[in-house]
Amino acid sequence: MNLLKPIKAKIKDIKQECEDIKTYTLFVKGLFGAMPGQFNMVGYPGVGEAPISLSSVVYNGCFEHTIKGVGRVTKFLERFRKGDEILIRGPFGKGWPLDKVGGKDILLIAGGVGLAPIRPVLQKILSKRKSFGKISLLYGAKNEKRVLFINEFDKWQKNISLYLTVDEVVQHPPVSPLAERGSNVGLVTDLLDKVKIDSKNTFAFICGPEIMMRFVCLRLLAMRVDKSNIYVSLERRMKCGIGHCGHCQHFGLFVCKDGPVFSYDQVCGLPDGLL
Amino acid sequence: MTKKYIFRKSKELVSKDDFFLWLDSLRKNYKLIGPVRDENQTTFRELNSSKKLFMEYETTMLSPGKLFIYKQREELCKFKMDGRISVEEALPLSDKQIIVGVHPCDTNAILYLDRIFLGAFKDPYYESRRKNTIIISLNCTQVLKNCFCSSVGTGPFLKASSGYDMLLTDFDDKYLVEIKSKRAEKLFNIKGKRAGAIELKIKSDKEKSLLNKFEKTINVKGLDNLFRNNLNHPVWEHTAEDKCLSCSNCVMVCPTCFCYDILDEVSVDLKTARRFRQLDACQDLRFAEVHGDNFRGGRGARLRQFVTHKLNQNKQFDIIGSVGCGRCITWCPTGIDITEIAKEIQRHEPA
Repeated sequence: MNLLKPIKAKIKDIKQECEDIKTYTLFVKGLFGAMPGQFNMVGYPGVGEAPISLSSVVYNGCFEHTIKGVGRVTKFLERFRKGDEILIRGPFGKGWPLDKVGGKDILLIAGGVGLAPIRPVLQKILSKRKSFGKISLLYGAKNEKRVLFINEFDKWQKNISLYLTVDEVVQHPPVSPLAERGSNVGLVTDLLDKVKIDSKNTFAFICGPEIMMRFVCLRLLAMRVDKSNIYVSLERRMKCGIGHCGHCQHFGLFVCKDGPVFSYDQVCGLPDGLL
Repeated sequence: MTKKYIFRKSKELVSKDDFFLWLDSLRKNYKLIGPVRDENQTTFRELNSSKKLFMEYETTMLSPGKLFIYKQREELCKFKMDGRISVEEALPLSDKQIIVGVHPCDTNAILYLDRIFLGAFKDPYYESRRKNTIIISLNCTQVLKNCFCSSVGTGPFLKASSGYDMLLTDFDDKYLVEIKSKRAEKLFNIKGKRAGAIELKIKSDKEKSLLNKFEKTINVKGLDNLFRNNLNHPVWEHTAEDKCLSCSNCVMVCPTCFCYDILDEVSVDLKTARRFRQLDACQDLRFAEVHGDNFRGGRGARLRQFVTHKLNQNKQFDIIGSVGCGRCITWCPTGIDITEIAKEIQRHEPA
């Protein structure tokens, strides 16, 4: 099988999450399965490809990608409408270690668009809620206008604890569903002060800017969570997704095939990274 | 090429004239590729006669593996975007080819590329060419000033037991021909004098005398930890600031550097596109750039990536990334020497 040959994906739906972030619901023909935390190379002929995590579980050949338009490929994607075709390759990489966390308490910690790769793991947990212990989602967004999946918070909150924060408030007086939830202003690390954990029984799945993950990991260590129970999803430049093109190399590791989800002890202290 | 065939591992002495006649007889079915001298440089290229071969060559700028098996640039896919998208893969036309005169370092480099492109995920473009390539390796007869293969276990005589087809050792007007694959056993239809204990003794003496000639050495033991513990050693910044131009020569001439970029070319009417891949280099500023950050924005970080990837990070493919060919040293315009960088760190903290 040629893993460099993309397949067509049809855009079934597009949801504007906020100003520059959209969630695309894609459909592919044939068998397609993916684990939470895996990614696709999403692209278009003549434009290129970018590695994007799935932001939902796969259901009936459909899955979602939540994409912020920032680069050549992701900005190009913004022009597409429902019914258009784009290309994908995947899924690639190792996802969140759901097999290791049965019965455990899980901290899901996300910053910004980093909530996208966390969402499928949350969906999976919610579908088998009883197989897990205490679940908390700690989510920090840049401001109240940049909050993802805000319509799903009510549903989530019925089954898990939700802690929200924004770096800054841009609208005065703050009119947003977030304000009603009594959310914080400050960094996502502050939210860790609000949760009480049983450190021996707790796993953490983190995704966000690498600098945020650095400080979240340090705080978790201070809370006596074991290094090997902390998982991070890394972002690197990628061209192939299968450990060939070399772009995502992280001191011997290939982020695309050995990750993108790593345990903190695998990547802590490696050069050319912030962890 | 991990598949092990059962075949007669014969060792025979064959006159060079007979050997080259045999090579020419294969040109009916195979493209013949070998070292050719132009003025003062030798390059691997396709030949129409074995007479053009220059088997006594010292080294080449580009390794045969990265010219004829892993291509510097190749087409991956064709697209049509006429309302709907259509995708067509561009698999390589797999001409059968023979590469003759591949030195031990370059043979080992091909075995290294196999670990990448024929590992957990297979690259069909590489695989198709690799399957159709017969590799006839040639043990070295000389040691150049930048060679350090003896320090990394890849030369000057080839030790690998499989993954190539034949091994030649120069015996004046003869070659000691060792068969290393089943397909070579089938192809090699000339009878020579069977090599006995005496010939094998001569071969090992030849190797020993070469081993004494190495000027460049490196102690690779413990380099993994040493680099890991010296990520901020001043040698990285000093070498980067004083010498490195980030020109990527080292990467381009390296026979084991495998990184590639993928680029699309769109037709003028925007209705079709072709997707290519071509060699890329970790020395390029944008190589590790993502939105809002560049993980190797500094020249020192990029230099460290190249050197450590060659000399440690062994766990990546269970072997060291360098084959000791010395090309990165030879072709560095400012004379950066990876063995010297390792030694500089070892001086402060012996392994």
